[in-house]
Amino acid sequence: MNLFLWIQLNPDALKADHLMLAVIGYSVVFLALLLLYVFFRQLPKLLAFNLRRKLRKEGEPEKAATAGNAVPGEVNAAIATAIFLYLNELHDHETAVLTITKAAKSYSPWNSKIYNVTHFRRF
Amino acid sequence: MEGILRFLSYSGFANVTAGHIIMILIGLGFIYLAIRYEYEPLLLVPIGFGILIGNTPFMEHAGLQLGIYEEGSVLNYLYQGVLKGIYPPLIFLGIGAMTDFSTLISNPKLILLGAAAQLGIFTTYIGALLLGFTNPESASIGIIGGADGPTAIFLASRLAPHLIGSIAVAAYSYMALVPIIQPPIMRLLTTEKERRIKMKPPRSVTKQEKVLFPIFGLLLTGFIAPGSLPLLGMLFFGNLLKESLVTKRLADTAKNALIDIVTIILGITVGASTQATTFLTQQSMLIFVLGALSFMFSTAGGVLFAKFMNIFLSGENKINPLIGAAGVSAVPDSARVAQSEGLKADPSNHLLMHAMAPNVAGVIGSAVAAGIMMSFLL
Repeated sequence: MNLFLWIQLNPDALKADHLMLAVIGYSVVFLALLLLYVFFRQLPKLLAFNLRRKLRKEGEPEKAATAGNAVPGEVNAAIATAIFLYLNELHDHETAVLTITKAAKSYSPWNSKIYNVTHFRRF
Repeated sequence: MEGILRFLSYSGFANVTAGHIIMILIGLGFIYLAIRYEYEPLLLVPIGFGILIGNTPFMEHAGLQLGIYEEGSVLNYLYQGVLKGIYPPLIFLGIGAMTDFSTLISNPKLILLGAAAQLGIFTTYIGALLLGFTNPESASIGIIGGADGPTAIFLASRLAPHLIGSIAVAAYSYMALVPIIQPPIMRLLTTEKERRIKMKPPRSVTKQEKVLFPIFGLLLTGFIAPGSLPLLGMLFFGNLLKESLVTKRLADTAKNALIDIVTIILGITVGASTQATTFLTQQSMLIFVLGALSFMFSTAGGVLFAKFMNIFLSGENKINPLIGAAGVSAVPDSARVAQSEGLKADPSNHLLMHAMAPNVAGVIGSAVAAGIMMSFLL
């Protein structure tokens, strides 16, 4: 019950400088990441501008050429899954591991060869 | 007979104290959590075992050069990497080589959540000052809220080396306890409707963008907070190794062998640094309490800022506030928590990809925060 009785707050220890550090520090973290946000928000436009200029020089129709550049993530994921499944189906590498594990064959009247041979139907 | 008595006096049985037993139990607890529940096993197993190493009793001050704080001991040599802040940048190199920043580049506004979730760092800094810690100590304790072990160790090694053990153990413990600490806060601060918000799928990112990210990321953040250069420099360098696709061997080493070696040494030495005589103090208990609060404030900061952003966003651009909690940089655990909480609200709502964006932004944010603290206080 008295576990935290020894915790004593000392409001006098807090100076304006400390509060300023906290506020400025938090603001600067925001500022740094805000700069990243602004830059990377504009980056695709800058890259597309460069690409459009290049295509214009080459005389290619801009829209047709740039359209293929923006494949949605879902389409990419579907293509990747299809390729993965296809490659998994190829079976080009067999494990080639031989085992001597006993394969249990539980015969029943329905699948036993001997049963079928010996208990054939008589007319 | 004298020889036998002398041998016994050197043995652990003769030197054991209640503190040793408590610390050994804590170490065993860490190992149990890691193996039984798989809570951050790559960290908790080395740290837990390090605690056992550091707290196996022996006759201290007998010049045996065994303890981590004894000059000349092997553990002391390894510990220099912690004290001098060598290991954290190397860990960041590996993290950079492992991290895919695509989700962040595809939806850059989520970067801001990584900034908002550093709230705990600065509120805890104030809290620690109020509790009587010195200015540098308070900053080192506050950084626990960044939920980034290497950053916490890096800052503590510069500002308050005597608290490294407590701060590192607190930081890593809370990182491991992300799935327990965060969900109640996330549920408390969000409505059922908000938790069901479906975000639009991220666009595909070009190779050019991926290569430019580490370069401009470093320049933009480094110019603002040069104090974070050792961490962010290595983080972005590691990422460039990965994304350039021409340094595959270097990237492979950074993200496999190198980070594994450093993690092992860092974990063991940090664990061993928690010797009962120096660790079981009132200060350590306070650091644990403040660390937990710091973590909670950071989680709340991310969630609340996501809600704030939603005021200005419309339709499919809205953000599921659960991913705000991933702004603390416990990668990828806090993103996983956002995913599982999202699935509880709507089993068809997968938030993992979206949550990874604030999660990796949090790594950058906490490193920037550490850099700022260093610039102010060193």
